[in-house]
Amino acid sequence: MKKVLIYSTPTCVYCKMAKDFFKKNNIEYQDFNVAEDEEAREEMVQKSHQLGVPVIDIEGDIFVGFNRPEMEKALGLK
Amino acid sequence: MLDLIIVGGGPGGVAAGIYAARKKIKTLLIAESFGGQSLVSADIQNWIGTKSISGLGLAQNLEEHLRTQPDIEILDGNLVSGVQKTDGAFKVQTKNGKSFETKTILVCSGSFRRRLGVPGEDRLDGKGVVWCSTCDAPLFGGKIVAVVGAGNAGLEAVRDSLAYATKVYLLNRTDKIRGDAVTLEEIKKNPKVEVIYWAETKEILGDQFVSGLKYLDKQTNQEKELKADGVFIEIGSVPNVEFLGDLVQKSQFNEIIVDHKTQKTSQEGIWAAGDVTDQVYRQNNISAGDAVKAVLNLYDYLGKNNK
Repeated sequence: MKKVLIYSTPTCVYCKMAKDFFKKNNIEYQDFNVAEDEEAREEMVQKSHQLGVPVIDIEGDIFVGFNRPEMEKALGLK
Repeated sequence: MLDLIIVGGGPGGVAAGIYAARKKIKTLLIAESFGGQSLVSADIQNWIGTKSISGLGLAQNLEEHLRTQPDIEILDGNLVSGVQKTDGAFKVQTKNGKSFETKTILVCSGSFRRRLGVPGEDRLDGKGVVWCSTCDAPLFGGKIVAVVGAGNAGLEAVRDSLAYATKVYLLNRTDKIRGDAVTLEEIKKNPKVEVIYWAETKEILGDQFVSGLKYLDKQTNQEKELKADGVFIEIGSVPNVEFLGDLVQKSQFNEIIVDHKTQKTSQEGIWAAGDVTDQVYRQNNISAGDAVKAVLNLYDYLGKNNK
């Protein structure tokens, strides 16, 4: 299974949609709350060169925002 | 050949879908996603019948209600990219290259966010330029935020930021604030807030990330700069009508002009409802009601024309 990381904030609805999507598809993921975790925030900025959430890292492929068809493709679900 | 294509998955599109399905109109609903613009709201307290619900909760309820209808086809994760008039019908194309023929169309495509159109806005998008304050405000802990626009969305962006930022500017083009007085009074009490009136944003500054913005003080006609790490843009919305070309008549604000009794547009066979129309009040409940009105009217139309 691919290693999935998500950088999120607790208030962000697209982050929640992404996490719901992972759960529904039995994708394990590691969640970093960048509202509190400053180190993770730095990491997110370095990876994505921007500040918006969510940022999703699928084995080094970086996605900004949640786009379901794109995620399905990246995870080989469809 | 379909009887109806509904464009959009907000409260309007979904309400229309449910009514059309129950009338057994042969319908396809095409939407990028469900929930419409209030998807990002933290708490909606005026959706009738529900005391309090998050934008995501409302979106999930809408989608679930629609999907329990046995008599409707749904194409989500897709967008309508073009509509052509054919002989007595319409051809509808999607961004993913699909194409459908239908007798009627109901446009519930809503609106998208208005941009400032100033230098730096595109280049620094996501690099301090923020379109979803509820999402991204927590990233500006200990930083300075400037909110452009003082309608309700702007005032809420200020409120979202106050929990995190050390200073929040609110820039308004006139000396009159359009947002609700209750929210305005609440945020004005916070010493971190500074309201700047008569400010017209001219440029968003920054190299890798936002470092500030330049605005024209319209009272003194002087250009001024302020330091900010985040610029939250909340200056209203523009209707999603591009895919229709010149098929329907539009207002000076690019809204689809409808007959408010029937939701008919100027083009026979096309109806519209919700924020995409020249209806004045942008509300979930109104969009749903107007869309229902449209379906009932086009049901009569289909009945007459199918004979």
